[in-house]
Amino acid sequence: MSVPNTMRVGPFTPTVLVKKRYLIFYIFLIWISIIPILLGFWVYWRISWNYARPVHFYTFLPLVAFLMYITLVFSSIFFAKTLLLIVNAIHKPREGVFLRISEDIDYRYWSLRNTIKRWPIWLAHRFPFPGFLDNICFKMFGVKTKISNSLFEGWVDTEFIDFGKDVVVGQGAIIQSAVIVGNMLIIRKTVIEDYVRIGSHAIVMPGTHIGHNCILAANSVTTVGQVLENGFIYVGIPAKKFKKNYFFEDGLEEKISTVEDVEKLRERYEKVYVKRKDELTRKDRREIKKEKKEEEKKRFDIEVDDDKYDDFDEMSNI
Amino acid sequence: MVEMNNEDSEIEPSDSDESNNEIIKEEISIQFHLYIIIFFIIYYISWVIPGFIFWLYFLFPFRIYFLENLRFISIFTDFQSLITLLFMPLVIIMSYLLHLFLVGLITKFIWGITERISPSKSGIIPRNIRSRAANYYHLRGFMVKYGKNTFIKGIFPWLSNWFFNFVGSNKIGKNTTLEEAVGMDKFIDIGENCYIGVNTNLASHLIQGIFGNISYFEIKVGNNVTTAAFCNVGPGSEVFDDTYLLPLASTPKHSVLKGKKSVYFGIPMRRIFRKKIMEYLSVRPEDLERNANIEGYKDKKLLKELKKKESIVTEKTDIIPKKTTTIGDLQEEKISTDPLTKDDLMIDFTTSSAIGRVNIKFLIVYLPIFWISGLIVTILWYWYSEDLVSGNSFLFKLQFFLFFPIVLFGLSYIFAIGCIFFSKLLLLLVNLIHKPITGIFKAEIGNTDYEFWMLRTEIKKIGLWLMRSSPFPWTDVIIFKLFGVNMDTSSHLSDTWCDAEFIKFGRKNLIGQGATIMSSMVVGKYLLIQDVIFDDYVMVGGHAIIAPGTIIGKESVIGAISSTTYNQVLDPGWVYFGFPAIKLKENKYAEERRDIIVKRQVDEAKKYTTTHEVNIDKDKRDLIKTEKEMKES
Repeated sequence: MSVPNTMRVGPFTPTVLVKKRYLIFYIFLIWISIIPILLGFWVYWRISWNYARPVHFYTFLPLVAFLMYITLVFSSIFFAKTLLLIVNAIHKPREGVFLRISEDIDYRYWSLRNTIKRWPIWLAHRFPFPGFLDNICFKMFGVKTKISNSLFEGWVDTEFIDFGKDVVVGQGAIIQSAVIVGNMLIIRKTVIEDYVRIGSHAIVMPGTHIGHNCILAANSVTTVGQVLENGFIYVGIPAKKFKKNYFFEDGLEEKISTVEDVEKLRERYEKVYVKRKDELTRKDRREIKKEKKEEEKKRFDIEVDDDKYDDFDEMSNI
Repeated sequence: MVEMNNEDSEIEPSDSDESNNEIIKEEISIQFHLYIIIFFIIYYISWVIPGFIFWLYFLFPFRIYFLENLRFISIFTDFQSLITLLFMPLVIIMSYLLHLFLVGLITKFIWGITERISPSKSGIIPRNIRSRAANYYHLRGFMVKYGKNTFIKGIFPWLSNWFFNFVGSNKIGKNTTLEEAVGMDKFIDIGENCYIGVNTNLASHLIQGIFGNISYFEIKVGNNVTTAAFCNVGPGSEVFDDTYLLPLASTPKHSVLKGKKSVYFGIPMRRIFRKKIMEYLSVRPEDLERNANIEGYKDKKLLKELKKKESIVTEKTDIIPKKTTTIGDLQEEKISTDPLTKDDLMIDFTTSSAIGRVNIKFLIVYLPIFWISGLIVTILWYWYSEDLVSGNSFLFKLQFFLFFPIVLFGLSYIFAIGCIFFSKLLLLLVNLIHKPITGIFKAEIGNTDYEFWMLRTEIKKIGLWLMRSSPFPWTDVIIFKLFGVNMDTSSHLSDTWCDAEFIKFGRKNLIGQGATIMSSMVVGKYLLIQDVIFDDYVMVGGHAIIAPGTIIGKESVIGAISSTTYNQVLDPGWVYFGFPAIKLKENKYAEERRDIIVKRQVDEAKKYTTTHEVNIDKDKRDLIKTEKEMKES
């Protein structure tokens, strides 16, 4: 509902700046998009300014400022789009696995594209009427989306994404079409079909295909190129099938129930979520415990409590 | 990870019935006056000089040569007019950059003074004992926030690296990219060529309960470390060179990640190997080989050839696997709702409440609100700048420039308050027509409850939006209170997504950075609205998710990145963690030994304890138990 003050969130582009000279494009865009506004202001000044009694000037100034902001966004979209078309003509944006070094041409152009898009998107997202200008930015820069979608409170990449209709992206959810892992930059097209609900803080990795009527629960992560089947609820890191989604049926208002036994539910979740203990056999665990005990005796002369080493111990404190 | 900014200073009587009588439960005093003074110094100086330059340019060349130019065509034919027009955007950019520089400079200066009085050093600071270390820890946290917000939210987020390095709160190496995040403002040492992804929180400090400790340890991150998104790393962690974290990989405090080109995944974080990496990232072995021997590929010609070869291969075989499962149509198989079991319809997962779309129709409502509140601002501005253009007095002009930052601050708040006032009026009207109620509704146009919920959300959005992006975003509590959230200024929402109705806070609740508190949730076609109730002294960790209907008992703690389920009730006095949150241990952070820390090596799954000096004033030493005392006794 309300965006945290240290986050700009919203549709945004990564801040990777491969070469400092890309900032010239950025400053050029800011410079050129302000000029039409100044011309507009000149017209307004000529019409309404009066040294003795500038009543009209001040009465309509709020409305004019509102309009000027919208014009600024549109002019910056126009110039950025023109520049983007030129840049894309020189090097076509494409999917694949690239290297995170300045020598890689795809990485360089990915960074350049993001730098160009940043100014209009920043402006659109700072507009106090949420969602309206963002959608125009999305559509102009190559994200297919509908006005019925609510993407405002998530972080959504600005290229290689297709949305269906009536998609809800949760608070702080991240929808990527490009991810950096180590020295690799992975760019893949993400497709999200109709009526999808994405939980808060969920992460959709590049290349994910989410079928319609799906729910991706909060705190879940999909893997690159994962396909989520139609009409299922997915939970987990990485996302796994949880149960069938009946919540698009009619007439369930009375029947929807809540969890009573949370401990039991936890057991169900444990199958879904990756846990360290699953990977180790009992022998391994015992050996590790022995090692730890010996090490600690040597080091600190402290008696070791077996119960102390619970898996989730200390996790609460992050 | 939870960070606190404003709290009242009151001493809470300790619970004498159950726990030990020795435990001191005292709340830290927060020096409001100091905070406000520091904020205004930074704000004033950083705006007065850029404001001077901008208005001087506006009044002298821009007004005379450009605005007073009578014909449109002569703007372009007249040399002076054209030049003043073309330079105006540059003057705006330059004054903005100067503003940023001054923010950095003054923050550095004040930061330096506080460092002299009480140097920031790693250690555990007891939260329930008043001390200078704790006071200055809070002060510094507050100080760096304004600068951090202006840099990271601003037009040039790349300069935030410079800001942190210049002020000295963080050390950030060359070519490192920091994406937007809720934390990461101090005590972090990041190496070169790193990529810290969206909303990654390298939390150098965390709070363990309202009366617990503040762990304040430096995080060391080596070179070439990448974190994809939403990774959480606790204080005191050491991340060595070439460590790669996948999304949501999180680790508690004092973890050691050995790096050496290994990839980590999951909560709690664990190392994954070649096969799993290929599965999760769907990359080929060649890509991994390139990732490992990156030095060999730093050659443009070689890469060009490789790409040419690959593009031929891709056309033939498709590197990118196409959808393997064909997606069947749900509409075809009609499911009758009768045989559905209780399990099928159980809400045992959490989603979100973000219906953020604002109908264009609402512009009709928004525009008058904007206009009327904008009118108040312009009238005040007129009154303030009346004689500026026509008046000749030099003294007056000086006065104009000197008071400019204060007027800017005041007007931005008057505008916000105007908008909030009118939206509150509108909200009252809407609530009179249809009273907000809790329950389960269909999320479709036609359902009155759903439509009015949308309407309420949209009306509230503007006020919250303006307040939270204002120069003083900590005042959002007032707005939440005004819009129907039951809370007072002792509670603090540090950078949370929070619904603005059906939430009741108790005394001194601390909500962590980036947490989500929802009193409404969209599940499929349905909208669930339910009260969320926090008892006193509840703490919610960073990035946690509170589902509607959650009731949290007194002095409970919810761990970071955990989530509660719909209508879950949490007992008082416990630490909860997980998906969904279950009891982890009793909340006894106020009684714990403060000099013991548990370190862990993630790669070998080893833990061991070490002792550490407690960061507290000398005269308060006798109030806490440490190892030395334990040995003596």
